[in-house]
Amino acid sequence: MHLQTVFAHPRAVLIRTAGFALVWLVLVGPDPASWIVGGPFVIAATLASLRLSEPRKRNLSLPSLARFIPYFLRESLRGGLDVAARVLLPRLRVQPGNQDYRINLTSSEARLVFIDSISLLPGTLSADLRGDHVTVHALDVRTEVVGDLMTLERHVAAIFGESPAPRPDQTTAHRSPARPLEQPARPEDHS
Amino acid sequence: MDPLHLVFGASLIAGAFFFVAGTVGLIRLPDRFSRLHALTKADNVGLGFIVLGLMPLAPDIFYALKLVLVWLLVVIAGATGAHLIAKRALRGDGEDVL
Repeated sequence: MHLQTVFAHPRAVLIRTAGFALVWLVLVGPDPASWIVGGPFVIAATLASLRLSEPRKRNLSLPSLARFIPYFLRESLRGGLDVAARVLLPRLRVQPGNQDYRINLTSSEARLVFIDSISLLPGTLSADLRGDHVTVHALDVRTEVVGDLMTLERHVAAIFGESPAPRPDQTTAHRSPARPLEQPARPEDHS
Repeated sequence: MDPLHLVFGASLIAGAFFFVAGTVGLIRLPDRFSRLHALTKADNVGLGFIVLGLMPLAPDIFYALKLVLVWLLVVIAGATGAHLIAKRALRGDGEDVL
């Protein structure tokens, strides 16, 4: 079964082997003797990746990826500053809650990148994914997060060559408190 | 003192600041979802600044790339871990001992 996959996708095998070899080179440095250990592990990693992720046609857009990186770094910084400002001020400015978001991305890779990136946007955390519905936990339910999510989804869709049609029902995101049984977050006074 | 070193020193201090902010968030925030916010965001940005500040100390290009690789893996692991923890907590099907 493994060998069939190897011979069926020579290009994917070559790219993945080169990728894992590069990771080994980065980890260990340019020491020729290290390949006694590294060589077998690069081959094993390639075989494992072929088994776990079947090679298929992907329309990865490198220009879109290049545009995504500065956006990602900027949003990460904004997210870090946002959470730092919320927790370091004497008045804790949080009102945690959940929002539903209907996901339009189809491929599992695109969804994975989207779900993981949600947690880096300011004030949002991807809490659950059931079918097409992402439950997004927001540090402050009073803020509007759907616009940010749609921007992120557009970026991810561009990388994977998908075109998400914006749906009108996204703007009416359902909101609910995260823990209905608990008291809502009270501003604490640390004097 | 070399002004470039001042910039990278400031980057290290900024990284430390975000780690402190993440820790404060972990202590002060009211529930486990909110605490995950503090950990994933503040720590990723914090580690990003620390990696940036350590760049000029890297002896060769492989060392610098290794630092970036470490940051990238921490970002992926942090976001994925936070999602999995939040999912189990939300569905209430975890094996919580408490």
